[in-house]
Amino acid sequence: MMVAVQVVITLLLWQVFSDGLIPKPGKVAEAFMHLLGSKLLLDNILVSLLLTLKAMLYSILITLLFAYLSVLPFFKSIAQFIVKCRYLTLTGLIFIFTLLTKDGSQLKLSLLVFGIVPFFVTSFLSVIVNINPQEYDLCKTLGYNHWQTLYEVIIIGKADQVFEILRQNFAISWLMITMVEGLSMSEGGIGTLLIKYNKYNDLTNVLALQLVIFMIGLCFDYLLGTIRHWLFPYSKLKTAKAS
Amino acid sequence: MTKHTKGEVVLQVTNVALTYDRPILRDINFCIKNIVRPGLSQGQVVTLIGRSGIGKTQLFKILSGLQSPTAGQVTIHNNKPVKAGDMGVIFQNYYLFEWRTVYQSLLLAAKKNKALFGMEKQTIEQYAEQFHLTGHLQLYPKQLSGGQRQRVSIMQQLLKGSDFILLDEPFSGLDVCMLDKAVELLLQVSLSDELKTLIIVSHDIETSVAISDTVFILGNEPDKAGATIKKEIDLIERDLAWQKDIKQEKRFLETISEIKNEL
Repeated sequence: MMVAVQVVITLLLWQVFSDGLIPKPGKVAEAFMHLLGSKLLLDNILVSLLLTLKAMLYSILITLLFAYLSVLPFFKSIAQFIVKCRYLTLTGLIFIFTLLTKDGSQLKLSLLVFGIVPFFVTSFLSVIVNINPQEYDLCKTLGYNHWQTLYEVIIIGKADQVFEILRQNFAISWLMITMVEGLSMSEGGIGTLLIKYNKYNDLTNVLALQLVIFMIGLCFDYLLGTIRHWLFPYSKLKTAKAS
Repeated sequence: MTKHTKGEVVLQVTNVALTYDRPILRDINFCIKNIVRPGLSQGQVVTLIGRSGIGKTQLFKILSGLQSPTAGQVTIHNNKPVKAGDMGVIFQNYYLFEWRTVYQSLLLAAKKNKALFGMEKQTIEQYAEQFHLTGHLQLYPKQLSGGQRQRVSIMQQLLKGSDFILLDEPFSGLDVCMLDKAVELLLQVSLSDELKTLIIVSHDIETSVAISDTVFILGNEPDKAGATIKKEIDLIERDLAWQKDIKQEKRFLETISEIKNEL
């Protein structure tokens, strides 16, 4: 109810304060409906989603590899370096990546993976650091060796949190996709579409497309949350029953 | 005095010391012997009593093999140095893997017990019935009450098959009703096998003494840094062990006073 009121107030303020340059909500809604019915949008969304999912898959595999290996001293420093890579900007590395990749498709994917992995690794390392020491102690008392402990506590025990990291960092991937798609526009994608609309100052369609991007993001957030609860039912349990 | 004999040493603690930036434990020496009672599978129940912050948890970790002492050693059967996994350990908050159902947790423990090979499922079902947990096997730890978690923890360590079970503050946070059930459960475990040895680390003097056969008092001595075993009380000699409703007896209350004076 409160959210509905907040949305109405925002729309009213938007309606009142928008002038000739900023399109009014009604016009954006009209453009949004028009976009939803167009094949152009669907094709571009599919291109972007496919690239995002591919990048997330590669990123999570690389993250898991380095995060699991980070329990070994040699890989710990590498994982920590990856964490620091969050402060690197992609813009300054585009030329190097262009030299290293074969085509535009590979360039976009590698840039996206390079941009996502440091955030994934940061989140997952924080999960590992915050593991309750009793989880390791219980493994030891059950007679587990190091590998069995790693499997039980970090791989199996934190599988639900990998999903949560995926959910939380989907926003970062989704944010980056519009940027990297601008680098190679021949394959299309919502980033390409957004750049085209921006180029012609078509602010109505830019806002409508932003709305689409926003809603897809929310849908994925909900979807990943639901899948997590379905795959790992214990992740939604909060309170114990009375005896 | 109840008829019994004391046999071989099942656990020996020799000159154990632990020092961080200051001495925590020093000169810890005690042993637990196998108690034999005619016609019964009588296990041992030993309590380590001490004030809060005296170093009980550190001694608990050393006994369980989870922590190495700065000096000395803990040995079990035939002078074998204890290592993590030799002892069944029940943590204060009955920690269980939150991502495993009760059944999965018990199965993990049962699979570590070679004596149960091929009979894990049946054994779990038997234990679950005995511990009134049959209907809870498919639940996750978060869905269990404190008492149920405690029973699952105990079952898990029993299924693992260790002769020794170490319990860290098993009575803390339990209400009166649950306390009685916990005591009954521990007595049941102690009678399950001749070599079963329960080592209770607690500051709940009345409850732990009431179910024990031996009490070790951990405390500080004047002008000496670090806690040590100040006194050993053989409750069997005093005819205080294995007696129901012993808490009401005058001699029990006198022993409690004696322990409190030592702390």
